[in-house]
Amino acid sequence: MKNKKKTAIIIDDEKLARDLIKNFLQVFENIEVVDECKNGFEGIKSINKNNPDLVFLDIQMPKLSGFEMLELLETKPNVIFTTAYDQYALKAFEVNATDYLLKPFSKERFTDAINKILDKDNGSNSDTNANKLNSDFLQSEEKLNRVVVKKNSKIIVIPVRNIKYLEAQDDYVNIITSEGSFLKQNRMKYYEEHLPNSFIRIHRSYIANLNEIKEIALLEKENHIVVLKSGEKLSVSKTGYKKLKEMIR
Amino acid sequence: MQKKASENITNRIILSAALGIIGFILFLILYYLENIQIDIALADSITTTLIFILIAFSLWYPINYMKIENYSILNILLNVFIITITTSLLWLFASYFIITSLFTDYELFYSSTLLWRFTVGTLLIVIIIILDYAFVFYNNLTKKVISESKFDLLIAEAELKSLKYQINPHFIFNSLNSISSLTISNPEKAQEMAINLSEFLRKILAGNDVKKISLEEELKNIELYLKIEKVRFEERLEFSLNISEECNSLQLPNMILQPLIENCIKHGVYESSETININLSCKRNNNYLEINISNNYDFNFANKNGEGIGLQNINSRLKLIYNKSNLISIKKRDNVFTVILLIPIEEILNEK
Repeated sequence: MKNKKKTAIIIDDEKLARDLIKNFLQVFENIEVVDECKNGFEGIKSINKNNPDLVFLDIQMPKLSGFEMLELLETKPNVIFTTAYDQYALKAFEVNATDYLLKPFSKERFTDAINKILDKDNGSNSDTNANKLNSDFLQSEEKLNRVVVKKNSKIIVIPVRNIKYLEAQDDYVNIITSEGSFLKQNRMKYYEEHLPNSFIRIHRSYIANLNEIKEIALLEKENHIVVLKSGEKLSVSKTGYKKLKEMIR
Repeated sequence: MQKKASENITNRIILSAALGIIGFILFLILYYLENIQIDIALADSITTTLIFILIAFSLWYPINYMKIENYSILNILLNVFIITITTSLLWLFASYFIITSLFTDYELFYSSTLLWRFTVGTLLIVIIIILDYAFVFYNNLTKKVISESKFDLLIAEAELKSLKYQINPHFIFNSLNSISSLTISNPEKAQEMAINLSEFLRKILAGNDVKKISLEEELKNIELYLKIEKVRFEERLEFSLNISEECNSLQLPNMILQPLIENCIKHGVYESSETININLSCKRNNNYLEINISNNYDFNFANKNGEGIGLQNINSRLKLIYNKSNLISIKKRDNVFTVILLIPIEEILNEK
């Protein structure tokens, strides 16, 4: 176990950035770069296939960001973020990244990061990582503009404007779009806080997209429902109705 | 302040000259019409005129001291009346005293013209006071107008500053990371990129957001920027320029195109692994310089937030600079995003 070579994957959309990491890694004889990926999609595939000990991960990448990619992984590898985006540092530590390298980084700083991984050789940490890495890590103030889901091993990126409504289902949230519905393990509260202002929690079990609402109908005394353009009817709670009235005014 | 004082002195000199002429007329009347001895006529007209000029000079101070806008019309009229009567009487008695003490036998004639002198003198003083008031009023007005227009200019400049193009730190750090990488694999290219980056940064740091530069110059900055980005993104970024010759010397605000090109990269290259073609074309469209910037983008991936902010910023900048709205428009067709800018051509009204 001790002398076994560790495997690493580099995920970054810029070739020069990948080259630099490869170059810095040359001195570590017990680390082998098994793959390089140019975006989150390739990253997921490669991680599932190679099950690496270590992943160098850029955050800003085409199609799927580094965070979104991690969200979709079932087993989380050791991650060293490499990014020029300072504002993500906090978020990175929330997902229990092993380390966070700000580009451009020095060889010394890089070596420190690698040594951290080599030191905790037992790997006991990675399990706790995995637990923490559930999707509620996205604590930043930023509003979501897309949601990434997995369906039948296919990764689907849903722009939030395509979401009609969300429905709570035990530990999951069902995201209903015009192209179908997708289950995601997360809490309603998270989406209530992170979706743009056009999404309103109208009920304990529902968050609706204002742009998809056709009408608000009175069912019986003080009991309203929302009718969507596509025909679905959703119950509205009293507080939900109040919020709706405020938004529409 | 200095300017005002000198203006005032010029006014007084012109006034004195005018009074001098009136004094000369007085002499002519006395000498030719009234057949007064030449020395007496001369002494009379000179003393009368000099004292009058002295009074006219001193009139300025109470008028200038009193801020007319702080008083009612009645108040001002009363003031004018009192000033006129007192100064007129003062002048009359002063000259009467001097002349009669010099030429005692002239007293009889002088007394007979007192009413006549008083009427003309009062009239003249009223005219001078009115002119002075008009001058003060006009001065205050222009001062107000100047300070107001200065204020407007300051506000506009402050707004422009807040809308100023700001370099994306992500761009700087990623470029530096590329340089860091190139120092190992290709030191020569690293050097070239370091120089390009420095040159670009220097342009931005020196950049004046109020200034206008030629299209040719603006395009040079953009090419510099794209050269740097090309090193980072390699084949993922392609750029083509299509400029009609006559446009090169036309003026546009400094760094107005830069954020648009950056948008192309942000929404195009950042979000796609395919090649993104950025196309920039310029042509003359009547009195406008029409600039089209387009890029293809990955349709399936939602754009990042804030797409509109950059464009809004440019729109506000153009509005402030040219005092016209709707100079910017966008077009989305298939998977090509185009921004169209209309820059008014100013060569016709080339002010200043």
